[in-house]
Amino acid sequence: MAVTEKEVLEEIREQLEAIKVPNAREAQPESTWTELDVDSLDLVELVKALEDRFEITINDDDLKPIESVGDAMALTMRLAEAKEGTPA
Amino acid sequence: MPPPEGHDGVALVTGGSRGIGRAIAQRLGEDGFDTVTLGRTSGDVQADVGDATSVQAAFDQVRERYGPVLVLVNNAGERRDGLTIRMSAEQWESVIHTNLDGAFHCTRRALDDMLKARWGRIVNISSVVAQRANPGQCNYGAAKAGMLSLTRTVAREMARKGITCNAVTPGVIETDMTAGVADQLMAGVPAGRIGRPDEVAHAVSFLCSEGAAYVNGATLAVDGALAA
Repeated sequence: MAVTEKEVLEEIREQLEAIKVPNAREAQPESTWTELDVDSLDLVELVKALEDRFEITINDDDLKPIESVGDAMALTMRLAEAKEGTPA
Repeated sequence: MPPPEGHDGVALVTGGSRGIGRAIAQRLGEDGFDTVTLGRTSGDVQADVGDATSVQAAFDQVRERYGPVLVLVNNAGERRDGLTIRMSAEQWESVIHTNLDGAFHCTRRALDDMLKARWGRIVNISSVVAQRANPGQCNYGAAKAGMLSLTRTVAREMARKGITCNAVTPGVIETDMTAGVADQLMAGVPAGRIGRPDEVAHAVSFLCSEGAAYVNGATLAVDGALAA
């Protein structure tokens, strides 16, 4: 089943909340890590959670241009779709 | 004191079957931690700590059999002394491999569990030779000094996550390694005696306690003022 934007955004909000990011519930696709006060270690935790939840692998190179919630959503959806397109 | 309520996990002591490691494992057990020892050929689980794959397999085993690792004591060590001018590359690499690579690989794996729990204690058993050079121990001293830098870096990286990383630098401690040379070694110790493994274990116990939550990136000397 295809992963929806809403699903990914909700997962990101939940994880940011677990990481104790202030105002995690109000995170929007346009929210940047700087605005949310998400540091590099927080990002590592978020990535691990997204990998586990959506059964994807995010490489360090993919992470470099990720600066906002929307960037993370787009990357997650792209990788999840690519995974679904791969024969088992 | 075991991990705070809701943080179920174990204390893993590398090189915990003898000497200082055994005293630490015993003490943490008395403090209420479920304690697991890791050794090359002995202990509850076996691994070559210097080998990343071996460490990963051991941590998977610990997690499966006992639970997540919330306290890690990097104590596994090896000494192969010799004057620098006579030291072989193999002698150098082997000691760095066990002492320094080992601390890194185990820390790397334990952090996964600690980060999830938002609680963790890492204690690196360094040595007085990290601060006060000893002829014949360039490999051991470099590895142990490297552990102090590893300690401080991990402390800074993890400070916001409820995880502390500290080091203990034992001086001359009564173990199998110092048996027979105790008198000679004792001569340079201001305290006038050599230390006991349980005195090192006591320092580790403090660093693993809830009361030490704000002690992070520190080096605690247990050396009878040898490095002072």
